[in-house]
Amino acid sequence: MNAVVQLAILETKMFFRDRLSVFWTFLFPVVMIWLFGSMFVGSEMNGLTFAEQFVPSWIGVNIVTTSFFTLGTVLAGYRETGVLRRYQSTPLQPWKILAAHTVQGTVIFFFSAVLLMVFGMWMYSLSLPEYIGSTLLALVISILAFFPFALFLTSLAKNTQAAAAISSLFLNVMLFLSGATFPIAFMPEALQLVAKLLPLYYVINLLRGTWNEAPISSYGFEVGILLGISIVSILLASRFFRWNGK
Amino acid sequence: MEHVIIVKGVSKKYGSVFAVKDLSFAVKKGEIFGIIGPNGAGKTTTLEMLEGVLKPNSGTIDVLGYVPTKQLRALNKRIGVQFQSTSIQKKMKVKEALQLFASFYDGPSQKDHLIELLGLQEKLNVHFEDLSGGWKQRVTLALATIHQPEILFLDEPSMGLDPHARREMWSLIERLRKQGCTIVITTHYMEEAEKLCDRVAMIYHGELKALNTPQQLLRGNVSKNITFESHQLKCEDIEPIPGVIRVEENHGLFHVFCKNQQETAYHIFRICHEREISLSNFNFEKGTLDDLFVHYLEEEVVQ
Repeated sequence: MNAVVQLAILETKMFFRDRLSVFWTFLFPVVMIWLFGSMFVGSEMNGLTFAEQFVPSWIGVNIVTTSFFTLGTVLAGYRETGVLRRYQSTPLQPWKILAAHTVQGTVIFFFSAVLLMVFGMWMYSLSLPEYIGSTLLALVISILAFFPFALFLTSLAKNTQAAAAISSLFLNVMLFLSGATFPIAFMPEALQLVAKLLPLYYVINLLRGTWNEAPISSYGFEVGILLGISIVSILLASRFFRWNGK
Repeated sequence: MEHVIIVKGVSKKYGSVFAVKDLSFAVKKGEIFGIIGPNGAGKTTTLEMLEGVLKPNSGTIDVLGYVPTKQLRALNKRIGVQFQSTSIQKKMKVKEALQLFASFYDGPSQKDHLIELLGLQEKLNVHFEDLSGGWKQRVTLALATIHQPEILFLDEPSMGLDPHARREMWSLIERLRKQGCTIVITTHYMEEAEKLCDRVAMIYHGELKALNTPQQLLRGNVSKNITFESHQLKCEDIEPIPGVIRVEENHGLFHVFCKNQQETAYHIFRICHEREISLSNFNFEKGTLDDLFVHYLEEEVVQ
């Protein structure tokens, strides 16, 4: 257990030593909210204000960026440069590595989510989530679904570039098709169907819903889907853990 | 003497090419065992099979009583590994790396002892990426030995080091051995094998060509040689001397390979005396593992 704690603390420290990743993780989403805000503020959709719509969904997007970039691509880099290969010759088991990175990702995500929420409250008079316990639970479920999902997908990549390509593809597709940036209702029916195949769609429904409308118990379907993704991904990520890129 | 590693008839294929072919040897407890050979000879493949990272296609390996690929975690608690080209996280400080690796093992760590032994004190707060090659090697050596392993595997530990740093690395390895550690080391520096290793296995094209102490290897196989300077003597004068194998001449600098140094020297002096030719810088050269290395390579070419 000591190893997991040590590794999680160290990886978190090292994340903050890299200025570029700090910018993309913390400031980029705020800038995006601010840009969308300058376009949409004042116009209501489905009875929700701009911030009530966009802040929860960008918190959802942040789960995706954290899982693919802070976790997945970084681990792919470790696979390529031999960091994991070095761990392989110690008694450290794969699940401990995955657990440590999951803890690190959760801490970093937590800061970015608080930052977005505070920004929304300050600029666009967003209020705290209506069902705050439900929102927190929804976040935990979303993290448990997305982190292992991304860790498994990026572990299929041969090197960092390939992992970054996989990550960018997933991020962009989900960004535009899952309702985070464009309301699904505006899309043609075929695309609406595609949206429902993307895990981020359910995360956003869950976050927006518990933030504004109803407790998590009304979102059994979304919770079920995400828990399903979570279990399958955890099994795949730990069963097919790869120590090197070969 | 007790053996800590026993390798019997091990082969490893990549596709249809043998990286290692029918290799057998045993390593004694407490010795420094060298695996030498040119690049691509199968040294790293051999080492990785001993570490349990690679699975052999045939043959058996026993390391501390374990089958490495099957009992990897148990084995990893008792061995230490320094890879050729792996790195740790770039932005990790030296002291953080030591602490992290210490947390991977249950027993007591010799972190503080290693900081002193390797002189790491002044670098503790430096990021790994900012260290020079020699310091990086020291840090990875410290990480490999932090749990006082019974066997230490070092893959080309002095690669890329300057001669001074290399000598320091050797004395560090010597000191680790004095703590009771068995050390298996690969290298293609012959000097390293001669100075450091108790026994040397020479591997070419994945096959074991020779296995003995460096002294015995030199006594047995290498032809003796003589060097001197002369601007009047010609190769043709020396070649007919009995026992001379080969003569090389370069701007009056002669290199004579022969079976018996003393006898050949006598004939060279006799010829020079008779013809009143002057000689200078006359030397009996001791054969080196380098010569042996070339000897085996030439043998390969002939075959």
